[in-house]
Amino acid sequence: MSSFGFGLITAAVLAIATVGFTMQFAVTNVLNLAYGSIMINSAFVAYYLNARGVTAWATLPFGIATGAVASYALNRFVFTPFQRRNLAPITVVIVALGVDLCGTFGLQAIVGGGYVSFHQSPGKEYHILGMFLSGLQLIIIGICVVVLGVIHWLLKYTRLGKAMRATSANPSLARNSGVRTQRVISTTWIISGALCGLAGTVFAMNTGVFEATSAQLYIVLLLAAMFLGGPGEPYGAMFGALTIGVATEVSAAYISPQYKEVIAFLVLLGMLTFRPYGLFGSEKTI
Amino acid sequence: MTAYAFYLTTIIVYGAVDAMACLALNVEFGFAGISNFGFIIFQSVGAYVAAVLSMPKASTSNGGFQQYILGWHLPWPFPWIGAALAGGLLALPFVFLVGKRLRGDFAAVGLLVSAVLLNVLVKDYVPLFNGDAGISIVPAPFQSHWNPQGLIYQFAYGGVAVVLTILVYFLLRRVTESPYGRSLRAMRDNDIVADSLGKNLRRQRTSMLVLGGMVAGLSGAILVGFISLWAPGAWGYAETIVLFAAIIVGGAGNHKGAILGAILVPLAFEEVTRYIPPASNPALIPALQWVAIGLLIILFLWFRPHGILPERRRILSGAPKTALIEAPPDADALIQLGNIDELDFQQLLRLDEPAIDHRVILSTEGLSKEFHGVPVVSEVSIEVRQGRLTGLIGPNGAGKSTTLAMLAGTLPSSGGRIFYQGRDITKVPSHQRATAGLVRTFQLASEFKKLTVLENLVSAIPRQSGDSFVGALRGRRHWGREDKENIARAMEILGGFGLEQYADAYAGGLSGGQRRLVEIMRALLAEPTVLLLDEPMAGVHPNLAHKIGDQLTRLCAGGMTILMVEHELAIMDAFCDPVIVLAEGRVLAEGTMAELRAKPEVVEAYLVG
Repeated sequence: MSSFGFGLITAAVLAIATVGFTMQFAVTNVLNLAYGSIMINSAFVAYYLNARGVTAWATLPFGIATGAVASYALNRFVFTPFQRRNLAPITVVIVALGVDLCGTFGLQAIVGGGYVSFHQSPGKEYHILGMFLSGLQLIIIGICVVVLGVIHWLLKYTRLGKAMRATSANPSLARNSGVRTQRVISTTWIISGALCGLAGTVFAMNTGVFEATSAQLYIVLLLAAMFLGGPGEPYGAMFGALTIGVATEVSAAYISPQYKEVIAFLVLLGMLTFRPYGLFGSEKTI
Repeated sequence: MTAYAFYLTTIIVYGAVDAMACLALNVEFGFAGISNFGFIIFQSVGAYVAAVLSMPKASTSNGGFQQYILGWHLPWPFPWIGAALAGGLLALPFVFLVGKRLRGDFAAVGLLVSAVLLNVLVKDYVPLFNGDAGISIVPAPFQSHWNPQGLIYQFAYGGVAVVLTILVYFLLRRVTESPYGRSLRAMRDNDIVADSLGKNLRRQRTSMLVLGGMVAGLSGAILVGFISLWAPGAWGYAETIVLFAAIIVGGAGNHKGAILGAILVPLAFEEVTRYIPPASNPALIPALQWVAIGLLIILFLWFRPHGILPERRRILSGAPKTALIEAPPDADALIQLGNIDELDFQQLLRLDEPAIDHRVILSTEGLSKEFHGVPVVSEVSIEVRQGRLTGLIGPNGAGKSTTLAMLAGTLPSSGGRIFYQGRDITKVPSHQRATAGLVRTFQLASEFKKLTVLENLVSAIPRQSGDSFVGALRGRRHWGREDKENIARAMEILGGFGLEQYADAYAGGLSGGQRRLVEIMRALLAEPTVLLLDEPMAGVHPNLAHKIGDQLTRLCAGGMTILMVEHELAIMDAFCDPVIVLAEGRVLAEGTMAELRAKPEVVEAYLVG
């Protein structure tokens, strides 16, 4: 049961991250493989403020802002110009890999290779339903629930959410129906970037010690969660993140902690092979 | 002096290994369009297999301080052969990822993740290849007869590596500069269209993954025989990105570019940074190295996306090498068909049955298609008769193109059955339908952009003896004469359509109307029995459209069967009989245009729709 608790924390962080990742894919049709590097950069901005004496939780907005600004800039100044050039779609993915290298190792060049951690107490331990959760972990779960609720409200009940869904389903049709798609796309990248920054910061807080390359393999969990729920589907991403988060921690407890991520890999490969449009999705029109 | 000589041999061996790897990746990525983000695992498996094949049993060697499988203690060249085979075998599990239905970037991500997964597994599972510590003291070839530390040995090793690289270069060139190589590039430029012209995407991609994997495996064997150790740290997934950077810098789709990239990126990068004095922060130099690789990729893709040595334009027409021809801006208005009435379609397109019996050649029973639960085509049952030019009309969204796509197999159907020449082909993949004579065109531009017009046409010709992996390996002597005939056929039809001066131009540089003509010609050269045309006249000048219509009628008189989706009622009036009307995914009516005009429901569907 305690592994289930760990799973919930992993899932909470992963859910925030995956929803952002899948929203970017939905509106721009790009697998943003540089996502992990923006997560860790956001975490380091928050960490540096924390090391200068700011309370850990108070640094969250700065992590969020870093993610939002960096993601917006990445889309506006890198991805969009490349997409306008009408190159093969894989080009943008390769560019994203290049950005990931620059982001991750540029950070490492600045901060060095050592491990750091937030000055933050994990808080009192709570015993809930057979799970032991620290105050920190409870707050992370709380943040996740609130964030997912806000995203749900945004997608379901606002004009912006409707415009996002329209843009994702058919950009040219949305444009012809009067949706200002360019603006919708930019807004989506700011919101998803904020989620990326938030996810990166809480990921670092939850991990305890971290360094510049700590999020490098996080992209695998993200991809697994996204493909499980269907690429570009925010609700699918929530479901996928919960499943993957719990599955990795439970398998770590019952099989071997060394192979913790293996289950995510296998899920991802299985989904790509048999159901690349997600468990509930169907093939898009050619 | 000798220190420099040893350094030189190291450079030679590394250069050869990198060049071999880049050549292999370039065949996959630059020619076949497979973004193999997991390429490094193919090199790595070669290194491991060569190591454990050449080493003695793990229990007997060096007091058993390392664990590994096999340990067969084989003499050279068996470990290297085994490495190449292992590289090729490793490609087979990925067959499912590179099939037709998976997007290229999804497949790429699958390969990337597989590379990460394998690295984790090899690191954690020690009995396989000694885990994270890796395998060391791998014997060099002939080390019992010859001192591997000697200068002569090292130069000989470098020489063998270079010779093998040259052999690989010629082998890969033989494959890519053949009709088969043309099919690979066609698949790279537009896989769905290549599929509809009868290219077996899965087989082509698998063949290239196996070929690339074998070369990569060999390169790994050469490397491990020289440096005598191999560990998971040497083949992190990011190493693949370095090789991609090399190919992007050198020039994708150009073998010499791949070699140049190998020298400039992995080799020069490693060597140059050796001379930078160590900083106070030990992680700084390697970190900056990675940043530089990332920047190199981004900047090259922006400023020089085709690399230092871009892909060559292949001049097939025999004309002198001319400057790049592009269509003038007013090209559409200037299109004049050539001597098209004199073309002997019967001979040119191998039409074999002039006897026309108007039997049902293609039919559907209750054909249906849903997208996300929304019906687009419902219960469509139609018959297409041999030798007729059947029209398919209907308002926007009536399901015309979807029906056509299901007939050709581009889209799977959600229900119902399709019969072709008396056979149920509902489950037959589209490339097999194409080779059986059921060929389609596309509504949107579908030329192979980086193939010349002539290459576009020739690539469609079926049953070319050089259009298979084995055929390509047998060389020009095997397929050269036939290819000349095919080029002549394509030139003749090109002349008929009045586009011969564009024979060697990139198809991507033509005007919209010209590209439509290229597409029609290409479909004809696929030697269809039944031709499915999806709005072939869209964007074509009306005068020209009528001339093309005349030719379609002539083709039908020659025994071809055509089903044409068209918007333009004037075209339907002039050429099609019978005409099938679709509305809201259902068959509304069928008959001659005159009969249809008399039906109020048809008129209403058109006016309302």
